Amino acid sequence: MKNRFSTNLTPLLASALLMGALALMNGGCSKAPDQPEPKAAPGKPRVALIMKSLANEFFSTMAEGAKKHQSTNSASYELVVNGIKNETDLGEQVNLVEQMIAQRVSAIVIAPADSKALVTVLKRAKIAGILVVNIDNKLDAGVLKQADLNIPFVGPDNRAGARKVGEALAKQLKAGDKVTIIEGIPTAFNGQQRRLGFEDAVKKAGLTLVGVQSGRWEMEAASNVAAAMLSEHADLKAILCANDSMALGTVSAIQAAGKTGKVLVAGFDNISALQPLLQKGQVVATADQHGDQLAVFGIEAALKILKGESAPADQTTVVDLITK
Amino acid sequence: MTSTPKKLAEYAAMLGIWVGLLVMFGLLSQNFLTGATFSSLANRIPSLAVVATGMTLVLIIGGIDLSVGSVLGLCGSVMGVALVNAHLPCWVATLLALGIGLVAGTLNGVISVFFRIPSFIVTLGMLEIARGLAYLSTNSQTKYIGSPVEPMSAPIPGLGISPAFLMALFVIICSQVALSRTVFGRHLVAIGTNEEAVRLAGINPKPAKIAVFALLGLLSGLGGVFHTSRLGSSDPNAGMGLELSAIAAVVIGGTSLMGGRGSVVRTFFGVLIIATLEAGLAQVGASEPTKRVITGIVIVGAVILDAWRHNLNARGFRSLGKRTNP
Amino acid sequence: MENPAPLLQVKGLVKSYNVPVLVDFDFSLRPGEVHALVGSNGAGKSTFARILSGLTLPDGGSMQILGRPYSPRSKREAEDAGVTMVLQELNVIGTLSVAENIFLNCLPRTAGFIRYHVLHEATRRALDRVGLAHVSPSTPASALGMGQQQLVEIAGILARNSRLIILDEPTAALTDPEIEQLFANIRRLQSEGVGIIYISHRMDEIQRIADRITVMRDGRMVATHTATDVIPSQLIREMVGHDLTERNPLDAGPTGGWALQVENLTSADVLHQVSFGVRHGEILGIAGLIGSGRTETLRAIFGADAKDGGEIIVNGQQATINNPQDALRAGIGLVPEDRKHQGLLLPQSILINTTLSTIPGHANRFGWMDSSAEAATTKDFCDRLEVRCSSSGQPVRELSGGNQQKVVIARWLARDCGILLFDEPTRGIDAAAKDTIHQLLRDLAGQSKALVVVSSELLELMAVCDRILVLSRGRITAEFTPSTWTQEKVTQAAFAGYLDTRESKQTT
Repeated sequence: MKNRFSTNLTPLLASALLMGALALMNGGCSKAPDQPEPKAAPGKPRVALIMKSLANEFFSTMAEGAKKHQSTNSASYELVVNGIKNETDLGEQVNLVEQMIAQRVSAIVIAPADSKALVTVLKRAKIAGILVVNIDNKLDAGVLKQADLNIPFVGPDNRAGARKVGEALAKQLKAGDKVTIIEGIPTAFNGQQRRLGFEDAVKKAGLTLVGVQSGRWEMEAASNVAAAMLSEHADLKAILCANDSMALGTVSAIQAAGKTGKVLVAGFDNISALQPLLQKGQVVATADQHGDQLAVFGIEAALKILKGESAPADQTTVVDLITK
Repeated sequence: MTSTPKKLAEYAAMLGIWVGLLVMFGLLSQNFLTGATFSSLANRIPSLAVVATGMTLVLIIGGIDLSVGSVLGLCGSVMGVALVNAHLPCWVATLLALGIGLVAGTLNGVISVFFRIPSFIVTLGMLEIARGLAYLSTNSQTKYIGSPVEPMSAPIPGLGISPAFLMALFVIICSQVALSRTVFGRHLVAIGTNEEAVRLAGINPKPAKIAVFALLGLLSGLGGVFHTSRLGSSDPNAGMGLELSAIAAVVIGGTSLMGGRGSVVRTFFGVLIIATLEAGLAQVGASEPTKRVITGIVIVGAVILDAWRHNLNARGFRSLGKRTNP
Repeated sequence: MENPAPLLQVKGLVKSYNVPVLVDFDFSLRPGEVHALVGSNGAGKSTFARILSGLTLPDGGSMQILGRPYSPRSKREAEDAGVTMVLQELNVIGTLSVAENIFLNCLPRTAGFIRYHVLHEATRRALDRVGLAHVSPSTPASALGMGQQQLVEIAGILARNSRLIILDEPTAALTDPEIEQLFANIRRLQSEGVGIIYISHRMDEIQRIADRITVMRDGRMVATHTATDVIPSQLIREMVGHDLTERNPLDAGPTGGWALQVENLTSADVLHQVSFGVRHGEILGIAGLIGSGRTETLRAIFGADAKDGGEIIVNGQQATINNPQDALRAGIGLVPEDRKHQGLLLPQSILINTTLSTIPGHANRFGWMDSSAEAATTKDFCDRLEVRCSSSGQPVRELSGGNQQKVVIARWLARDCGILLFDEPTRGIDAAAKDTIHQLLRDLAGQSKALVVVSSELLELMAVCDRILVLSRGRITAEFTPSTWTQEKVTQAAFAGYLDTRESKQTT
């Protein structure tokens, strides 16, 4: 046994050493803090946009918007767009950031899959002299402070947006009506913000919140959870969903339960598939964060900083309430 | 071949577990044991039920198919694109979805049989391919379809269950009959037990092996159709992780991962148990982590129970054999 | 280097598994000696080798190495005492380097890290001793040929300071030049004082390499000769013993026409131009040593393995048999050697096993199984063959070996096969059940079926067969009828392929 262990250990150790060496080299290169622009391609800066799942419509629209922006401004910067396969696959997003560090891009504009877990690798990017801009999902302030890191954030205020959606829905209800929330993955910052926003609105309107469950951002999971909520609470008046995919699933559960029109639904994101349901009134309200512009705002902020303009404080983008 | 009374006893054991769950949730939640709950249960299981049915047959021959969730997603996506973008009639879109499922399954079977690659690996590849194609075909967008597809999964008024559920039941009954009463079923059981012995008995095992993967592909397509109709939209992310739920249902139903043993009806009970657990836990308001922990415990517990029961049976038989065979 | 004290001294070794396999066995080996051990299948050679190398415990007797008592309880203990066996199947791990293979259980290391320079240095010395100085220690073992792999294993044995090496059929997988190299190495080891026990069927090799030859029969030492004093025909006579009185149970010989004719059956390296025929109502036996091509002949006829050439003629008509389905259509059934892995679906019922080859026959044209017809068939054959079972639903795993074999036979009878090929039909079956199977074979012949029976037990063949063919090294070397066969003649023919040509002329 012992010798087998040692045989297996050798390549592991070798690769660990190699990685350590590479890390040292990187660190060595970045020892000149006055040089915020490491040797990128002469002239144009290269901006890496790192998204969450490109399989998610919201992020694919965001990427489209960024690509369009780049093609009209092709003279001023180059763009590399990358996304991960699965929203919760943090490891892969970390790998992407590391690749971008290795490629020596000028700036990384990132929509982090997790508000805390990405901080370490982003710090490494910063040390390597790469500018980092945070979009969409805000990195955890506490962790950033702990890491002694200052990363500008450009993105929507999810909590305020969710509050707007909740208030629009509450207008059609009266105090004391029972409502439930279907949240996303509980660990995601934007999901937490939306839930808090919904809860703010519910409290303000005096509604009774009878349950919060996770639909894991997925259509079918939300549909199953909604079906259970509907049979548990016969007099349920509304379900607030933290994204539109889950709203679609919820609508199908309401239909199956034969309660169309009796239970109101709200969503978030304003994806195109939701349009017909908004028209029919099966979904009362959703929020549009202008995803196609979100990445563009981030890229523009990055370009500004690269040009030497002073870093703006966190920048909040518009979230519009959509009711029809 | 299992005798009828023994078979019925096995079904009763599964039914017992299910009723136990119902009673438990009934005690925990006042509104659980209602028509609405059963109706929503009946409407949520058809896609998992048909996929798990096909998976049972694949596990019986000692194979495995990890691509079912992706193939389901692909078929649903193609159906959505056909209806929303190409404006094809609903039946054409449905046939298209089923056809794609059949092709994907057949490819799985042909490649694993002719290149002698373990099905685990072939279908792992198909898992990625089909998911990728699902995103490509829909441009990663959810498509809202609405009324054209909804009737299939809408409860029939007065009955409380949907046509999709009835179709799933029909598939299950046909598969069970095929398994225990036809040449095809006999071949599957024999191949799963000892493929070399089957070959030396003068049976070519290849056609049956390919057919069973093709059938599972077709059923995944059907699952995609059910899924799309239930949600009224086609979702390229549909069916993620479904392969594990399907395998869990089959295993809870006592089908051996080693092949040679299994029952579609018991798989259906496995599906019921998983769906009831999910619905019940949501209804009593269990948190996401609690749900996962409990689901895991139930899966392993059910399998331990089955292994234990199987051992008892085998031991009973062995002593019987000794008595009559001095 | 003549040393009066024997390296190994064995006295009165006894071992039995139900039946005695070693009886009062004596043996001795001097340092630097090659002592060959010969005997027919089941004479006890392998058991002796297993006891010596610590894989099996003896029931009684004493062993001494260089005058000290020796009783290894494990392979490790044997190796510590300097005794190692090179198995027929090599113990080389292809993905590891030559060096790692040689020193696998004693890799030089510091804190878990292999000290490769030390390892490679030691390996070079070890390889040099077996004449593989040109092989680099870091070569993966799989890159070497069979012969070189064997030498690597021997190098490993030497590196652990073995004094006694047991070689069990070492040349079975080697080419002629590789054999020469092996022999050169054996000579070198001899000169270093290593004692070698050489187990082989191949008379020509034994005559070349051995100093002494011990003949074993039925677990006893029959004679020990100085190699130069004995000729192969005498050894063979001693292996067989004096002729037993054989009975011929058949009243009348077979009268039917040819049921199966095999012409020039050839399969690379295994079968060479094998031709024979069997008549309706006849039982044809095939004798031969293990590895002589007996099983391969049956499998090639049945289409279980691909063949490189030859014709199969069934009832006078040419039959194309490329797979078992073809064989079935031609009415040929095979009862395979390894009943549990190749013949039966162990966890399934007797019914499923019995009707396995007649599934379409028990179904309508829509593919529905007729379970009452299946039950009737199963009951019919279980009664006819007297299968002892609790019900037709009982898993065959729970049956005794003899009853399991009957189920396999029932399957082919249900299919109404006219030609049945039996590979070791009574292996692992107790004596009483053996008799039943023998009777069954005769009954089947009585129903004018044509039977081909392969068996390692010569007495079994003599008891049931009308004719015996002998295969040796993939060739038919003799054909006997009851009036011409004797154990000695059959055994001689079985060894014929392994003698060199000059010798075989002398003995046939």
